[in-house]
Amino acid sequence: MENNIIKKSKLTTFKQNFNRFKESKIGMVGLVIVIFFGFLAILQPFLFFTGMWDYSTYHPVLGYDAVPYTATVVECPKEYPTENYNTRADCPSLNEISIITLRPFMPEVEIGDKVERFRQPAPPSRSHILGTDSLGRDVFSQIMEGSQVAFFLGLLSATLSVFISTILGSIAAYFGGIVDAYLMRQSDLLLMLPSLPLLFIISAFTELKVWHLALVIGILGGLGGSVITIKSQALQVKVKPFVDLARITGGSRMNILFSHILPNVAPLAILFMVFGVTGAIASESVLSFLGLINLDMSWGLMIALSQADGYISAGFEFWWLVVPAGLSVTLLAGGFYLIGRGLDDIFNPRLRKR
Amino acid sequence: MARYVINRFIQMVIVFLLFLVLSYLLFDAIPGNAFQSLLLNPDLPDYAYDRVVELYGLNDPLLTRVQNYVVNFFKGDFGYSYLQFPKTPLDLIAERLPRTLMLFSVVNIVAFYTGFFVGKILAWKRGSKAETWITITSVFSYTIFYPWFALLMLWYFGLKLNWLPIGKFLYPEKWYDAPFDSDVVFVEMIKYTIYFSLLFFLINIFTRNIESLKTRKNIRLYGFFSLLALSYFYWNSSGLYIMKPYAGDIAYHMILPILTVTIVAFAGTALLTRTTMMEVLKEDYILTARAKGISQKRIRDRHAARTALLPVVTSFIFTIVTIIDGAVITENIFSWPGMGQLILDSVLREDIPVAMATFSFIGIVALIAHFVADVSYAFLDPRIRIRNQG
Repeated sequence: MENNIIKKSKLTTFKQNFNRFKESKIGMVGLVIVIFFGFLAILQPFLFFTGMWDYSTYHPVLGYDAVPYTATVVECPKEYPTENYNTRADCPSLNEISIITLRPFMPEVEIGDKVERFRQPAPPSRSHILGTDSLGRDVFSQIMEGSQVAFFLGLLSATLSVFISTILGSIAAYFGGIVDAYLMRQSDLLLMLPSLPLLFIISAFTELKVWHLALVIGILGGLGGSVITIKSQALQVKVKPFVDLARITGGSRMNILFSHILPNVAPLAILFMVFGVTGAIASESVLSFLGLINLDMSWGLMIALSQADGYISAGFEFWWLVVPAGLSVTLLAGGFYLIGRGLDDIFNPRLRKR
Repeated sequence: MARYVINRFIQMVIVFLLFLVLSYLLFDAIPGNAFQSLLLNPDLPDYAYDRVVELYGLNDPLLTRVQNYVVNFFKGDFGYSYLQFPKTPLDLIAERLPRTLMLFSVVNIVAFYTGFFVGKILAWKRGSKAETWITITSVFSYTIFYPWFALLMLWYFGLKLNWLPIGKFLYPEKWYDAPFDSDVVFVEMIKYTIYFSLLFFLINIFTRNIESLKTRKNIRLYGFFSLLALSYFYWNSSGLYIMKPYAGDIAYHMILPILTVTIVAFAGTALLTRTTMMEVLKEDYILTARAKGISQKRIRDRHAARTALLPVVTSFIFTIVTIIDGAVITENIFSWPGMGQLILDSVLREDIPVAMATFSFIGIVALIAHFVADVSYAFLDPRIRIRNQG
């Protein structure tokens, strides 16, 4: 009889919880952002599979598409400012080409002629929503690839780290004594190592693939600081009457640990997981920005490429190379963080509104 | 209590030993060594590389090297830098540390005050439209892709507006006939920052019991301005008068990095303050205060914010550890030659003595911070205190 009620109510509790989550505007904004990027990540394989995009044009790494345009041949003046140009950077302007760059290839060209040229990086157009980069690759497709990498890495490493830290934290709280001391000193040890230089060292051992990095971040995060927080939460659960009751009624240690303490620590652990995704995405982007991961394409790499080619110092003239990638990292990391904050505001009893 | 502290101290020493061995093993596992560039030099004879490797003892078995390192470490001998030979790691750290400390102490002080202020108001206005949007913006400024943001700031303020210098921490041409090196100036600037923030803190402490909120605010404001006036006299005093233009040059170069890091760092403090303050606002004594009819502002500032300050301050102590870690990217992008650059260079070029020294420096700072936090928690938290007494 009681079992039936519990079974029936599972779906409704989910609905109730979701309705409560909807109260938090912050959480909803985060959820929308995450769903948007999740949609982007799924969309790319779908587009390739249905043949709407062909690999040779839209592949994020190997694709190539040159956008043709007609340019007027001009001669840049020696001194600035003139009527048409204010500074040296203005000449040649968007649909013009300097004669000096053409002379070696087309000796017969004159000032005022029209020539067919290919533009790389090309500004956004109908076939390339976010333009192409300096190698003629589609930026929108790269963003989609980057979001796949971010989701894979973020979720994998966060799950791993939460799995490890929840189990270790509960064990430390439940057994106490030497086990506790050992686990706490172990996380002290990992907290002492500066994380970014540590990742540099690890990247020097081997060519880091995405899943290597996910494992490394997951394990380091799982053994580090979050064990301490989870332990303090588990300590509060351990002194609750139902744990004593379970012990009196003859529950084994493992039984108490896994069916009484762990489920009560789980909400906090899920919160940690959401924040962990933020951290993992940030470290992946920084590492690939510095060129330390063996990756075909990611958001950090896109920024690194546009910095190496000098497009960031050109400001917003080439905005499609500068803005989308950096904004994606910020938005997705922030989206997960907002979901975490929203969950915390609504489900943490100490924060719930009166 | 004493037993707890001693026990904790012994554990700390063991952890530090493990930390030393572990980091040595990590550096040793990186393929190659610092001297391999000698092999590429065609002017050197074949045996040069072997001689140097032999000289530095890199051919010894691993166990001997680790043992040598740890023993010498506790004798206070850190060896010589492989790549900048006559300098010892301690020289290098002493040269670089003031620069990083100067930059990040200012950042942390500014970020702490602004973050606490913003977080306090956010928690107070919970549920309003403005609160939601400000929280969302501060989350994004917290998770912003830092290298990208720093590059955009460099582009905007350095290249487009041309207001601030891009990179480096001084104009070398201004320092040709300087009678001292930049570190002396840095040390003076750090001293000044410490005095200023200490006095400001003291003003806040001594005025906190003034009943009327308005007088308190006014006194604090006057105090701040008189501190500014005092610092004018301080920098014009006889000893520091020569340094003033040079200190100004450094300060001018510091504006952009400080601005960039502060925007990221303040959001973290603001979000943390928001959460802790929201917890405090649910306490019964806030309800009591409301029932007594105390003004809203007073409840916010005196009853809630003061309690919420404690966890924020503890987390602030812990961020001191991560300063040097976060300094790596900042200093790399703004080409600020501080500790972060030193760590990055020594790790990537395998200058093991320097890398070990910087790592253990960070480790010691982290350990002391954790130890102090643990012991003070054990002392302050009645639950732990009672358990230890009996």
